[in-house]
Amino acid sequence: MNNILSSNFPLFILTQVVSMLYIGTTFLYAAHFFRDWQPAKKYKQPALLLTLLTHLVYLGLLTSIEGYRIGYSTFNIMTMVALTLTTTYFFIEFTTKSDKTGFFVIAFATGAELISSIMTAQAPGDGQIFTGIGMGVHLVAAIFGFSAIAIAGLYSILYLLLFRQIQRNRFELLFQRLPNLEVLERLIMHAVAFGFIFLSVTLFAGMLEQNATGGAINILDPKLITLIAIWLIYGVSIFIRPLLGWDIKHMAYLLIFLFVFITLLITLMTVFSPTFHSTTL
Amino acid sequence: MNIISVGVNHKTAPIEIRERISLSEVQNKEFITGLISGGLAHEAMVLSTCNRTELYVVPAMHEVTGEYLKEYLISFKDARKDVRPEHFFSRFYCGTARHLFEVSSAIDSLILGEGQILGQVKEAYRIAAEVQAAGILLTRLCHTAFSVAKKVKTRTKIMEGAVSVSYASVELAQKIFSNLSMKKILLVGAGETGELAAKHMFAKNARNIVITNRTQSKAEALAEELGTNRVLPFESYKEHLHEFDIIITAVSTKDYIISEADMHAAMQKRRLKPVIILDLGLPRNADPEIGKLQNMFLKDIDALKHIIDKNLERRRLELPKVHGIIDEELVAFGQWINTLKVRPTIVDLQSKFIEIKEKELERYRHKVSEEELRRMEHLTDRIMKKILHHPIKMLKAPVSTADSMPSRVDLVRNVFDLEEPNQSH
Repeated sequence: MNNILSSNFPLFILTQVVSMLYIGTTFLYAAHFFRDWQPAKKYKQPALLLTLLTHLVYLGLLTSIEGYRIGYSTFNIMTMVALTLTTTYFFIEFTTKSDKTGFFVIAFATGAELISSIMTAQAPGDGQIFTGIGMGVHLVAAIFGFSAIAIAGLYSILYLLLFRQIQRNRFELLFQRLPNLEVLERLIMHAVAFGFIFLSVTLFAGMLEQNATGGAINILDPKLITLIAIWLIYGVSIFIRPLLGWDIKHMAYLLIFLFVFITLLITLMTVFSPTFHSTTL
Repeated sequence: MNIISVGVNHKTAPIEIRERISLSEVQNKEFITGLISGGLAHEAMVLSTCNRTELYVVPAMHEVTGEYLKEYLISFKDARKDVRPEHFFSRFYCGTARHLFEVSSAIDSLILGEGQILGQVKEAYRIAAEVQAAGILLTRLCHTAFSVAKKVKTRTKIMEGAVSVSYASVELAQKIFSNLSMKKILLVGAGETGELAAKHMFAKNARNIVITNRTQSKAEALAEELGTNRVLPFESYKEHLHEFDIIITAVSTKDYIISEADMHAAMQKRRLKPVIILDLGLPRNADPEIGKLQNMFLKDIDALKHIIDKNLERRRLELPKVHGIIDEELVAFGQWINTLKVRPTIVDLQSKFIEIKEKELERYRHKVSEEELRRMEHLTDRIMKKILHHPIKMLKAPVSTADSMPSRVDLVRNVFDLEEPNQSH
């Protein structure tokens, strides 16, 4: 099979442009956060918007090949992860008027987009395409769920870093630039709540779709077990705090672990099973 | 035309000298009135604060130099035994302008970027204006200084961040809690330090402030002043520790007033919700072991000083930007001073043309109708403006060197045959 970029020149160009825009936007957010560079402050939001719009055009062109449906291939999923992360952050920035955490979220999205671009260039074909509304809901919810997990994990790292800086009287860059602990805590809890909702949708939409297509649900499937375990941990962590008074610091450790674990899982799947939804859920 | 500044400040003299030479408002008025009425100065202003006493003078005679003004102030204060001219600094012309711009923008202050000095400069100018000692030069100088200070405040971060212990405690609390109005605050000790911290908290919308003090009447007085009217008896405040998110202690005592056991019990009751204790007492009021409790932030004066040091460091990094703004304004001020030098020539030039116009129109006054005379007057006005436009523009144009200005003035005066200007002021 031919690589999709070699046969589609506009898509080839857009792949490069989107990656460059992500790198440029990350650079502007970094320059503002670390160096307080004023031109970066001025241009980072327009750059973020431009990146988002270009990414949407790119995704439109990429999926147009198969009737605007997303493929199961990891490069499709990674680019969707980058887009949902950036979109989520875009809304956080515009609704909270706080642009202090942008670098960390967008840098992660940039990583996802670069992996996607590299894999797109190396992929032998278009990848397997999903069919059916149920599977579409399952896939989109899974992508949003992972974005929420990533945001909860990233904000948990920032929370712990700021917590430690305050406790150790190291009133440096993070102390100056990051939002306060309570705001970070709120962002984490919102991300956890959204993550739980999306993971629930992912799980049930997947099972319903499998049932509808007449396939048997293999309850020993490692992917299913992992998803249920993560879903349970997220669900429990929402209720454990108000019920048992579990402090946010311990939750942050757990959320970082989940984030790292899921990211590793996706990376491993990318390497060993590029079309990880093959025959069973 | 010169403008001289002389004075003592925290950079040139110790506090005993600064105290000895400072002027009250009454003395300030008396001093500058003396300079003006004695014919020594055309304009004068005195800036006298706890850190500086500085004179800004437009001398009326050549004998009035920086040295003269130093001696004049020393003798006015009858301080010859304690104060010597070596304790003073002197600046002239653009040096004076630069100095006042630096003072107004708080980069010459003892605490870099402090917020009071601009108000003090404005007050000094108000006093000078009140006794009619502020003329065109000082007025322009002061207004430019106010504008510089405003630009520095808005374009740089020289005034950002806490530089006092009480304000640093608020800054720290805001890094933990997002909305102080939703937090319950306990102030233990209603002395000066505690009061200041409570007022800073109040300024940041903290309204739920409960005060406790050994002398309950003092706590009640502060609570009333803040408008919270919430006081706890000193004997029983420990029973309520778990209710508070922020605890400020500022008590003069040798023993710890809050022990690790007290806070451990309180943290259990509040299910480990974060607490910050701001220990502003010296010796410390809270057992340092408290800091090891989970979700507990215990900060003493030393910790808060770390914040102050970092903020001052950041302010220092803004200095090049501030100097850039000052340099910009200094160039504009220098050009304005130059236009002052050409003003008599411009006035003479306009007067001469008006005189010619009126003489010529007078010849036709009885030969034409009133309507025609009005038209002729209008026409001559327009011609005159057009002829004068270029020479006036040339006179007002910025000069590359101070020497160019007299030659331009001489050229215009010779071409238009103007009489020699009056040399006064």
